[in-house]
Amino acid sequence: MSEKINIPDHYRRWEADIKIGKKDDHVTIGYWRDGCKGCGICVDVCPKKVWEIIEAKDKWNGQVVQVTDASKCIKCMLCEIHCPDFCIKIY
Amino acid sequence: MAFEYEKYLRMDKIPHLWCPGCGIGVVLKAMLRAVENMGWNKDDVAFVSGIGCTSRAPGYIDCNTLHTTHGRALAFATGIKLARPAKHVVIFSGDGDATAIGGNHFIHACRRNINMTLVVVNNNTYGMTGGQHSPTTPIGYKTSTTVYGNIDPTFDICMLARGAGASYVARATVNKGKQLEKYITKGFEHNGFSVIVATANCHTQFGRKNKMGDPISARKWIADREIPLEKAREMKAEELKDRVITGEFITEEPEKTRWDNYNHPVHEYTEAYQTIRDKAQEKK
Repeated sequence: MSEKINIPDHYRRWEADIKIGKKDDHVTIGYWRDGCKGCGICVDVCPKKVWEIIEAKDKWNGQVVQVTDASKCIKCMLCEIHCPDFCIKIY
Repeated sequence: MAFEYEKYLRMDKIPHLWCPGCGIGVVLKAMLRAVENMGWNKDDVAFVSGIGCTSRAPGYIDCNTLHTTHGRALAFATGIKLARPAKHVVIFSGDGDATAIGGNHFIHACRRNINMTLVVVNNNTYGMTGGQHSPTTPIGYKTSTTVYGNIDPTFDICMLARGAGASYVARATVNKGKQLEKYITKGFEHNGFSVIVATANCHTQFGRKNKMGDPISARKWIADREIPLEKAREMKAEELKDRVITGEFITEEPEKTRWDNYNHPVHEYTEAYQTIRDKAQEKK
């Protein structure tokens, strides 16, 4: 909350109030749809199933991802570290 | 807190040309985070690459970058390091680039123990040119040039680097981005030649011919074969067949008393070169 959120305007955003342990926290997930190639690694690595694959006819394999429920996020940063296309930002 | 990769990237060139889910993207991100950990100024770092999928990486990094001929990245990098010893030189190379075409440069850079960092992305194949078999393709796996299964024994890049005299050798897989970052940071800190092998997935060329054509199953194939060095030390050789051993093979302080460290490097090359330079100038 106090940290600066630096997500560009062309990113899709999801926000939610979450709890990490007993501490209240706030998460902002930024996702760049144009840069995403729909590989599905974020869906695979996420331990809380925050991401899901959806259909997109303009992509090479007909899929992109979106956030199902941002309040499930635990800020483990796995999706951000393992996205090969620099598309995910988590604050 | 998200990491700001934009600081180190030429954003007009992103999205990159690598296949969806390619492991090189993960390794590149780990490397950029390691540069941030070191707190280096962008003008003091030079990224050098040869030819192959990995060679595209310096094109995306907004530092001093050099895209050289196939396998000769280490030769160019040695030149940069000797001309500007105070700068940091990082080589980003593939398994074909480092161990096959540039195999000789690789072992001699290890032998000289120059203060550079080599990041080898090992994807078990020549991805860019059509999936030919490389020196790291495991036995029995199919590629476009070994359609009935590969029979060539493989190189263990870490053991090769260790034998040739590199003074920091580590291996991690793309499934462990943080571990990769830690090892690359240690390699940057190390005064001497450091080799970090990142085992990556190539599902488009290597995976498709071996029933793992999507990034998830190719990453799982690596994760299933992965085994930490501490565990591997207690296992028998036949149990370790076709496994990826991860960990630090040589660290800063090797056990000098152990017989297999008898040829461990005694000096760093640029420092030794400077003493020769000083000697030569004294005579005049």
